[in-house]
Amino acid sequence: MARRFDPSGESVHLGFQIAPMIDVVFVIMLFFMVMAGSVRVEKELNSQLPGNAETSGATDFVDEQIINITEAGEVQLNEEPMDTPTSRELTQLKATLTRLKKAGDEAKTPTLVTVVSEPNAKYSRTVDVLDALAVAGVTNVTFTVSDEEP
Amino acid sequence: MAGGGGGSDGEPEFQIAPMIDVLLVLLIFFMSITTAQVLKVDKSITLPLAPDAIKKDTQRAEVIVNVRWDAATKKGSYVVDDKTYLETGELTKAIVAAKKVGETRVTKSANPTFRAVIRGDREATATYINRAMNAAAEAGISDISFSAVNKD
Repeated sequence: MARRFDPSGESVHLGFQIAPMIDVVFVIMLFFMVMAGSVRVEKELNSQLPGNAETSGATDFVDEQIINITEAGEVQLNEEPMDTPTSRELTQLKATLTRLKKAGDEAKTPTLVTVVSEPNAKYSRTVDVLDALAVAGVTNVTFTVSDEEP
Repeated sequence: MAGGGGGSDGEPEFQIAPMIDVLLVLLIFFMSITTAQVLKVDKSITLPLAPDAIKKDTQRAEVIVNVRWDAATKKGSYVVDDKTYLETGELTKAIVAAKKVGETRVTKSANPTFRAVIRGDREATATYINRAMNAAAEAGISDISFSAVNKD
């Protein structure tokens, strides 16, 4: 695209050259376009620890769903195995949680989920489950570890 | 920067100046989205993958607890404000100190709750993450967020 400078030319104009500038801008733009596609962004999964909140009225007790994560990576929803230990997408868990959330919304009761992980289970597996909960739109999530050694 | 204009005979012709304008705008756009989202995390920590998580709210007052994982010894350690802690008792004290400082910023933020962000290595065991959560709870923080990345 750029026109090259001709040293044999008699009238040498050393002013501002637009063509090389466009070349450079194009290259820089291409670089940033490629980088934009592969940029890693930090994301967050929120959780609220149970506390002693003061209430003026009666408290409605809701059904609590318990998700167990074993050391081998197996995920169980209310002791029912979900997906395979190697499955990262957890499609069955996502579908079940979405159904539970929808049923809870229709019954106007909050969906409360407690994630119980075995002490030596990998943290990445917990995040897989928290990610599935985020897809289902479940916000009342608590995370704990079963019988941790002191 | 660019001036307008066209051919004197009414024929449309290629204009270099508007093209430069568009190019520069595109360049600034791509520069801003790539540099604003550069990941600023502990290099020794590989965050877990969570493509469906929400984008991190950077405006909130928070204390960041990094949970490192040593694969050789299979033990974890905690880093708060560039200081390493092996025991949760010391970690709790560090979180309390960070909370005291951070709570002065809380009133300026849109979300008034001070929170703890746990940046755990993906290879770490759930025990170390749970201990970090317990330390945050002992420091009086109930709002916990787990950090992750959108892609490897």
